Amino acid sequence: MRKLAGAAAQLFGQSKSTSRLLPWILAFLILLPLPQLTANNYQIYLLNFICIMIILATGLNIVKGFCGQVTVGHVALYAIGAYTSAVLSVNFGMPFWICLPAAVLAAASAGLLVGIPSFRLEGAYLALATLAFAQAVEVFIRVTNYLGSASGIGGIRPPSIFGYTLRNYDDYYLLVMPVMLVAVYASYALLRSATGRAFMAVREDPLTAAATGINVKRYKLIAFVISAIYAGVAGSLYAHMLPGYVHPNNFTVIEMVTVLLMVVLGGIGNIWGGVIGAIIVTIIADLTRDFYFYQLLAFGLVIVGTVLFMPKGIGGIIDRYFATRRFVAAREATAERKRTEVEETE
Amino acid sequence: MKKTTVGLVALAAALAAAGVQAGEIRIGATMRMISENGQKYGQMMQDEFDAINAAGGINGHTISLSLLNDECKSDKGVANANKFAYQENVHLIIGSTCSSVTLPIVDVTAQAEVPQIIPHSTNDQITRKNSAWVFRVPISARYYKGVVAKYLADNVGTRIAYVYASDAAAQSETQGIIGQMRDIYGVEPIYEAQTQEKEIDFRSHLLKIRELEPDAIYFGGLAEPIARFLVQSYEVGIPASVTRAASSAASNAPVPKLAGDAVKGVFFSAAYSDSDTRPIAQLFNSLVREKYDIPSVDHDFSQAYDLVRIVEIALGNAELSLEDDDLAADRTAIRDAIANVQGYEGLSSGPISFCADPTPQCRDGNRTPVLIQYTKGGEDFEVGILDRVTMPIDFGL
Repeated sequence: MRKLAGAAAQLFGQSKSTSRLLPWILAFLILLPLPQLTANNYQIYLLNFICIMIILATGLNIVKGFCGQVTVGHVALYAIGAYTSAVLSVNFGMPFWICLPAAVLAAASAGLLVGIPSFRLEGAYLALATLAFAQAVEVFIRVTNYLGSASGIGGIRPPSIFGYTLRNYDDYYLLVMPVMLVAVYASYALLRSATGRAFMAVREDPLTAAATGINVKRYKLIAFVISAIYAGVAGSLYAHMLPGYVHPNNFTVIEMVTVLLMVVLGGIGNIWGGVIGAIIVTIIADLTRDFYFYQLLAFGLVIVGTVLFMPKGIGGIIDRYFATRRFVAAREATAERKRTEVEETE
Repeated sequence: MKKTTVGLVALAAALAAAGVQAGEIRIGATMRMISENGQKYGQMMQDEFDAINAAGGINGHTISLSLLNDECKSDKGVANANKFAYQENVHLIIGSTCSSVTLPIVDVTAQAEVPQIIPHSTNDQITRKNSAWVFRVPISARYYKGVVAKYLADNVGTRIAYVYASDAAAQSETQGIIGQMRDIYGVEPIYEAQTQEKEIDFRSHLLKIRELEPDAIYFGGLAEPIARFLVQSYEVGIPASVTRAASSAASNAPVPKLAGDAVKGVFFSAAYSDSDTRPIAQLFNSLVREKYDIPSVDHDFSQAYDLVRIVEIALGNAELSLEDDDLAADRTAIRDAIANVQGYEGLSSGPISFCADPTPQCRDGNRTPVLIQYTKGGEDFEVGILDRVTMPIDFGL
């Protein structure tokens, strides 16, 4: 009987994990033919770029949204990932499959360094420290000949899979889209794990978190490193995408504000925040390309407006909608049950 | 729901179709339009194409110019080029202003097989990519650095201090001059430093340079930093007897205005001089001053103008069907027509010629830098031409 229960539990466990993965598999199947449904190559290019931005924004959401650390140095980690990949590919002829983990390693190491000031700094002070880090990285790249300085690094080779080179945007999508899905899934799983709960405890009140036995410093560092891993992956994917070129102008404070806007608009601390924000901001940035004079002004106003009137972002509104629906359904079910009980009593 | 989806798809298709009209020549331009002058270069191109349309177009076809800002950022330039090539289905791409944007765009246009003509970028690596689809109107940095190095060595001396800003063109030009001095004259710089982005105080460099007693100081950078550098060179006490030279951006109008008397005696190489006495140049100067409220016409204006004229000639000679199905053939025809432009003489310092080989020799159209010297600074500045040198076609390769 006990053996039977064990087998059932195992079976239940398996089916539970399968059902947990099912939406992601479905998402993969839905997203897979998307390039075939687009009108042209430019839209596939945008799809690829959106996927990279989702990875980047989701990573930022982990450290900023889940763990509550105010960092504005995320774009520097993205740059470190991109440049590590670029240097290894161009100067050492390494294939993408070596460049990618190396980029992740370099970004994670930098994330560890960036995370250390968070032990003593909070809020605006931490923001300033990470901003200084971002500026230092940008300037370092700009003045270092080995890193292409102001001319950038070109000729970064596209990835190859079993001898097939992903030269086109539609081929590249087959790499970048699954990586994006895995990254979002990992973030989703992280938030529901003990580590994710520890992050949220640190975010809500570090003192209380420490009092309940959570090693605050350790979890802050973990958040920075995980977030940096995302930035490293995004940077490497960006560097190897056609035309395979990186330049310090692509990793400035403006890019940081754009990624920040993605997270703020999508919903800080919301699982889908980075995803929603990256999609909306990239599409809006593209649609408003003709109104370039006002684009940054509009972005700034959207950040201020979101913080004032929609602090939990679009993801927060969606969450509230579903929570309200669940609440109404539960209330109606309770009322119905009570009605039935009364009727039965009568 | 189904009806809504069908409606949305139909609307999207209609919008996409509305953006592309058969029978017109579509041109996409991506440029740095974050500065006042940058916007005016773009505006001038737009006005010139509008004027062509008003005069009946080219072989009866009107030109539709789509102008986008790339902010001197390669990712935006690449996005613009992709949009032009694949979404707007343009026949020709113009761009960009910044070398760091033009460099990656070359790969995009090569893959999409769209002809690309460059208005301002000078970095020599651009044409060394050997793309069959790329043409450059401005003078390549390989020619600029050669003529400046030769003038310095022959007329000034070889004890030269170099300071350069962090932009790609400044770096390329300055490193090139240093390389030329080393390779041809066997001379090393007495001082070499790169400034940081947005750095405005160069006095620490200049004080060190003063102690080294140079024959000349060279500054590579954009207009405003050049002006600051010149003013500060006098503030730290470097005497007027030390020759001051600067990169081609010294031709831009803000330099004499901001630097005042400090600009006197400074020389630079460019593709056009405001003091050009040719009637066409005088006419152009007055047109630009009046229409765009520019006190002095720099070579970025003249290059934008020359580019439009070259495109006009090429389009006039190309056999185009302008049907959607013939887009690839039309693009090839325009590329071949640009490659056939020979000896174009407009505002540029020398004739511009292209040819079919995808090599720098064929695609760096202008190889005649002009050496210009400021003789008076301030609002009503004056310049004189020191020399006009046509460089050997293989120079710097």
